[in-house]
Amino acid sequence: MATLGICDSANLNGGQKLAVKYFTVAIVLLGAQVLFGLLAGLQYLYPDFLYGVLDFSVNRMVHINALVVWLLYGFLGSVYWLLEDESQHEVVGLKLGNLIFWVLTAAVTVVVLVYLLVQVGPGTESTIWLINEGREYIEAPRWADIGIVVSVLVVFYNVAATFNKGRYTGIAGVLVLDMLALFGIYLAGVFYTTNISIDQYWWWWVIHLWVEATWEVMVACIMAYGLMKVLGVRRKIVETWLYIEVALMFGSGILGLGHHYFWIGTPEYWFSIGGFFSALEPIPLVAMVVHAVFDAGARHAKNSNHPTMAWLIAHAFGNFFGAGVWGFMHTLPQINLYTHGTQWSASHGHLAFFGAYATIVIAMFYLAVQKWRGDVWMSGELPGNGWKWKWSLGLLNLGMVGMTVSMLVSGYVQSQIERAIEGSSWIGYFAAQSHHWFAQGMWWRELFGVMFALGFVLLVWDLMTIGRGEKRTMVPAESEA
Amino acid sequence: MIEPAGLADFFTIFFSSAMVILLGALYALLFAYARIRAMPVLMPLAYLSYAGLFISTLFLAQAANLLSHPLWATVVVCMLLGYLLAPHGIWHLCVGTHAADAEKDAVVEVIPESMTKEA
Repeated sequence: MATLGICDSANLNGGQKLAVKYFTVAIVLLGAQVLFGLLAGLQYLYPDFLYGVLDFSVNRMVHINALVVWLLYGFLGSVYWLLEDESQHEVVGLKLGNLIFWVLTAAVTVVVLVYLLVQVGPGTESTIWLINEGREYIEAPRWADIGIVVSVLVVFYNVAATFNKGRYTGIAGVLVLDMLALFGIYLAGVFYTTNISIDQYWWWWVIHLWVEATWEVMVACIMAYGLMKVLGVRRKIVETWLYIEVALMFGSGILGLGHHYFWIGTPEYWFSIGGFFSALEPIPLVAMVVHAVFDAGARHAKNSNHPTMAWLIAHAFGNFFGAGVWGFMHTLPQINLYTHGTQWSASHGHLAFFGAYATIVIAMFYLAVQKWRGDVWMSGELPGNGWKWKWSLGLLNLGMVGMTVSMLVSGYVQSQIERAIEGSSWIGYFAAQSHHWFAQGMWWRELFGVMFALGFVLLVWDLMTIGRGEKRTMVPAESEA
Repeated sequence: MIEPAGLADFFTIFFSSAMVILLGALYALLFAYARIRAMPVLMPLAYLSYAGLFISTLFLAQAANLLSHPLWATVVVCMLLGYLLAPHGIWHLCVGTHAADAEKDAVVEVIPESMTKEA
């Protein structure tokens, strides 16, 4: 029998116990991302700050690597969370899954420590293997790359074998293939070539395809599961739309990769391919508004978990604005020539990653806490009117929007002064960096970063306390068909 | 292959690009709402949004020099057709998927009959 109001592992199945471990590390890494982001932001304002102790290049690297890894932990945790529920079978190879979790976590810890302790040194073959591969966003040394590939392969085995022995649903089919792609595409990130164009060509497979294709599909699967759990949406509808979304995503998204090939020395035809698919990429996103309205109008279900539902809604809006609006504003090569690699890109990156990925992982955190506390009540009339989750939701979202708009202002200055007027010259770079509008944008970014950090603290506090001592049980959403 | 945008056109490009997506979403929203709530009065507003999208796309095309090359002109046409037709396509998919489900379940009883027909 479920123990109400306290975090009792007896309330969870084997996969969910493992998922909680992944979620815990994910939250710690999110904290690291926020901390190192604030430090890097401060170094824009005070370039001497921590110089020689914790250089900007290291802060930025840890900030971005922490993002990639906490989201990966969040997704792997979400997959383990839904695995037994979905397959109606206990996780096959759970001990191996647990072992890999500890090995991966130890590896991440070592990699971060090496980043911080060995900031300067010779760039040799052994550096690539042991210290830092030097490839932006995926700086992890080669041994860690191989570790990530092996870890994802084990998760693939857990997922495929479990579904094979249990119930093989539509979500299962998509998830199994996606885990295979998650393993396969990362292979493009474990080698290095001395030709920068060739290297960048493959590097984008990890940055665009690994993140924007395999992660997107995982998000679609998690969303499908979440909608069944929180709103009781029928499985048949959810799975049909999962197939449709995956088809639309792949139809426009895979060759949308071309917009990253504009300026890396690839043949000119990538202008056509990248431009064409990038221009059409937002159409499915916009068209899905119809589906959202249809579903909202066709059913009047009450949800069983308000914080999760609120974060799922934040996901829909964040994905639309971050990926759709902010992406399309500078995706055509005619303008991207001036904006790529400026704070424009950072502005788009922040809102898109937060909207498309962070929001849904946070939604899963709340789903997990509810079950962990014995399927407690998490709808309306929470103690204190649920102020903690509402304020953390508000602070995190407002903080992120504020940072995004601030960077947009700075990026606009860069694209005009550094790129268009000064022709990407050395002088142009500094002319833009020292322009008062750029500096003001950086100040506002830092202030909104602090707001985001406060939201994060509140989020952690809420996750640790929501549902504690609650005696009411959850009112289940309509059961799936 | 590409003619880079002029400095004076930067703002036009950013603004019109954002308007393309936002008006596209507004068109889809009003289109779907008009049908699901059986409120045909909203449909002209939906197409007014699309008209705004159409104008924004032309501004974007002009500012980003898209009309000077056949390939980019084709992209503009595809965008205009895509934003116009995609909501219709998704609507048909919605009706199809939910109607099949309704045969054995009464969940979609709340959907007015009018919405399963073309407005």
